[in-house]
Amino acid sequence: MAATGRIMLKALNPLSKLLVCAVWLAASVLVFDERFQMALIVLTGSALIVLNRTSPLLLLALMVPFGLFGFAFLTTSLLFRQDSDFAMRMASEALLTSPAVSAGLTLFLRAVACGMISVFFALTTDPGSLVRALMVHGRLPPRIGYSLFAAMLLVPDLAAEAQQMRIARAMKTGRRLRRVPGPGELMSLVVPLLAFAIRRAGRTAIALEARGLSPDGPRTVLHAPGFTRSDAVFIITAIVAITLCGAATVSDIDVPLSLPQVAHDEPV
Amino acid sequence: MRSDPQPPRTGAAAEWHEVTVQYPFAKRPAVGPVSLGVRRGERVLLLGPSGSGKSTLLLTLTGLVPNSIPATVSGDIRLFGAVVGTRQPWAWAAQVAQYFQDADQTLCGMRVEDEIAFALENRALPPMRIAERVTEAMDRVGVPESWRSRPSSALSGGERQLVALAATLVQDASLFVADEPTAHLAPLAADRLHALLTECGPDRSVLVVDHRLEGLIQQIDRMIVLGRDGGIIAEGHPRTVFRAKHDLLVSEGIWRPAASALDARLEEAGIAPQVAPLSVEEALAHVDPATAPREHVEKALPAVEAFVAECTVRSVQTAPDAPVLARLVKAACAPFLGPTVLRSIDLAIREGEILGVLGANGAGKSTLGLCLSGLLPLKAGRRTGAPGGYAFQRPENQFTAGTVRDEILDTLPKQMAAKAKAERVAGTLAAWGLSGLEHRHPFELSQGQKRRLALATLTTSDRWPLLVLDEPTAGLDAHGVSMLMSAILALHGRGYAVAVITHDMDFALRLCPRSIIVGEGGILADGPTQDLMRNTALLQRAGLAEPSCVKALQWLQRAASC
Amino acid sequence: MSGTRGWTLRETLIVTVLGAVFAVLYLGWVQVWLIAQAVFGPVTMDVVMGFWFIASIVAAAIIRKPGVAFAAEVLTAAVQILLGSPAGLLLLVTGAVQGAGAEVVFAATRWRNYSLPVLMAAGVGAAVFSFIYTWIRFDYGALQPGILIAMFILRCLSGALLGGWLGHIIVEALYRTGALTGLAIDHEKRSATA
Repeated sequence: MAATGRIMLKALNPLSKLLVCAVWLAASVLVFDERFQMALIVLTGSALIVLNRTSPLLLLALMVPFGLFGFAFLTTSLLFRQDSDFAMRMASEALLTSPAVSAGLTLFLRAVACGMISVFFALTTDPGSLVRALMVHGRLPPRIGYSLFAAMLLVPDLAAEAQQMRIARAMKTGRRLRRVPGPGELMSLVVPLLAFAIRRAGRTAIALEARGLSPDGPRTVLHAPGFTRSDAVFIITAIVAITLCGAATVSDIDVPLSLPQVAHDEPV
Repeated sequence: MRSDPQPPRTGAAAEWHEVTVQYPFAKRPAVGPVSLGVRRGERVLLLGPSGSGKSTLLLTLTGLVPNSIPATVSGDIRLFGAVVGTRQPWAWAAQVAQYFQDADQTLCGMRVEDEIAFALENRALPPMRIAERVTEAMDRVGVPESWRSRPSSALSGGERQLVALAATLVQDASLFVADEPTAHLAPLAADRLHALLTECGPDRSVLVVDHRLEGLIQQIDRMIVLGRDGGIIAEGHPRTVFRAKHDLLVSEGIWRPAASALDARLEEAGIAPQVAPLSVEEALAHVDPATAPREHVEKALPAVEAFVAECTVRSVQTAPDAPVLARLVKAACAPFLGPTVLRSIDLAIREGEILGVLGANGAGKSTLGLCLSGLLPLKAGRRTGAPGGYAFQRPENQFTAGTVRDEILDTLPKQMAAKAKAERVAGTLAAWGLSGLEHRHPFELSQGQKRRLALATLTTSDRWPLLVLDEPTAGLDAHGVSMLMSAILALHGRGYAVAVITHDMDFALRLCPRSIIVGEGGILADGPTQDLMRNTALLQRAGLAEPSCVKALQWLQRAASC
Repeated sequence: MSGTRGWTLRETLIVTVLGAVFAVLYLGWVQVWLIAQAVFGPVTMDVVMGFWFIASIVAAAIIRKPGVAFAAEVLTAAVQILLGSPAGLLLLVTGAVQGAGAEVVFAATRWRNYSLPVLMAAGVGAAVFSFIYTWIRFDYGALQPGILIAMFILRCLSGALLGGWLGHIIVEALYRTGALTGLAIDHEKRSATA
């Protein structure tokens, strides 16, 4: 595991990852600076690619929805900022360094940074370990923990149920079964699927209690992740990194602006 | 009627004294008043029709009713001498293990070894001890080691049942309770359950609640029969009860093993076996053509012939030149978005035919049924013929409307006048015994009513001359099954072609003149049901159980040849 | 049973399971949103947002106990994390905020009133909390007041309609299937008609 001296991200305790991600997310929301957000993106992305061997293409693909999300704020900022006069700025030569674009870009980068941190957590954490860690160290009531497990078992079964229901509807209407359900079909499936899920939940509750699940009281939790030295190293490194970035941003250290100055021709 | 008043030899494992259970806002009690008990080391079967409140009674055993399911419970319930209410339901898990019919409700979405360890984790046992007992339970039930890290969502239905059984057995409880275990049990899990019931000891008691128990009945020490109203109508050793109370059970519509019908006929003929039989083999052991005197065999002959005639199909054979209603030619069938499970299927069903579709769990019967009815697109080959209607294994999947009335209305053609539609709906409801339920939601009906409603929606209009019924007997008691049979025969009389997918061999033998056996990725056999049933090698290869009267058929053959 | 403040295991499971179903539905709704955004532009997020409040409203209307609305949104997010959604961690925060907004409204009625107006108000409450959160996160302070007001109103309307009203319809339809017997909603409806 730590034989090569590297920190294997997947082996870390999910709670330490949760802590670090929470701190980094808070930092991203609190600091309004595009370089800071960029730094977050680069650091998190490299951690994933280098330490976790994530494929860069996968990472890029995962970032697309966050990019789209952030793009919305970029356009909103461009169009609707208070000190904006869009038409005038189109003519101006310093378009890309104007405050509206800078702010919009920061928001865009913030959306991508938050997405990146969230993806970091998703790619390096095993859900089962997370729930167990929470039960052991985070004082999550076991009832909620095992309910989450049971809910996870439900999801693939929901898909199977939905297939059957779709076939029944196809039979009634006489239309062929399409591969992807249309929106109207989906709407009509919601309530029966909810009913199925709720009935299952009731029966599962009985079965869990029959196997001895009590709301409180001592219990063993097998395969619960513990804390190792790697966790401490990881947490400290992450907090130091973010503090340095933050300090660099707010201080007077001159970091050259990465955005090039572009001259515009007069629009015809 | 009170339970057997013999003084308990080794103490009672579970006792109910004058217990009544009433759900809130219900007009009548769901169960009771009932008094019965399970002694230590005993194996008890609680038999009763659907709706007699057996499951409710079972839930009161550890206090799930009224603690988790609100209801008013009156009477005294004791476990191992202690009043049940003194502990919370989960606190009884160390002494009482409950095996539920639906494996999906028992399992959480964890890996197999975590599932099995769950009950022990709840008791705060040390991890080493838990690991030992998990391995022990896996050995006992036959869960392969390779499954340890598989998530339970990746298991098939039969595999899940096995894991659920292991997860229940690991509790090592003194009282093992099973609620309708045989309903959808895969053969492997059924075998393990059978083995479990055969090991007995002074400290292991078993209570099985079901409405039929073919195959496990020999292991039962004592049987208690509940009537439709929830009171006890018979009680004692199975052999005694099935023989002495034969007529009562028939009139109440309660399941009896096939052997007891044979026993009654042999008794009429004056040649009844000494000990009341529980299997057809036992019933005919004393008139074995090889060993018994000839006149005994002669006496028994008409009785056995009548028995066999009753077991096999009575409906008229389809004329061989009846037009083909639907046909699959060189078809390859796959479940929706799944891999192909059946190849090179050639199947034709004629007008007015009742076809049985048999096969082991997971053989692809449902997929074949869907392809035959034209609802599932084929991966290869083609289907010709009229559209088919399909009755799903779980009737809830069938219903798309919010009330019973709307369900039937939806199937009528749009051009009909409103008045004509209303009349049709009323007529349909009356014909299927569903009057008075117009405004109820289909999900609220009982299992039997749901199945009847499903059939009603399929047959009200004439859109679907071919019907495919998927496991129509699941969840029905003997009474429900006989009603279903008459309904199917009535449909046959109206000219429908019906394909019945079932794993119930006796039902297929009684209803379907012709059957196909699905297995090994194709159709293994296609022919008259009687001939298929006699071929034990074929049945074994397909993973099917024998119908009860096969032994009688073989006896007839041997008697004729002597 | 009605009157106990603690949750039974059945209720815990129902809230979690509702979270699971809605987690799947939310995933679908995100696709709708992304497509609509490409066509309609910046304020689509506020128009579609109401749907994400529906889990808390449906759960609260069924179980009718304190904390249900909040827990339902958090558990929905938790299930999304468990299912491996890339946005899971972010959704945990937004879920908590939205759930808190709905919970506040139910608390104001002392968890006793679950009629349609209250459900719509809960949708609005969630919208308000969500708006404050996005204000901080995406620096709404720098935008023109006109667009801000439009976004706020759209979000509140969306919360009331897609969250409250749609939630009400779903709960009523669900009740008719008979799956909700024994829960608080069942007790209250039957006592009302008895």
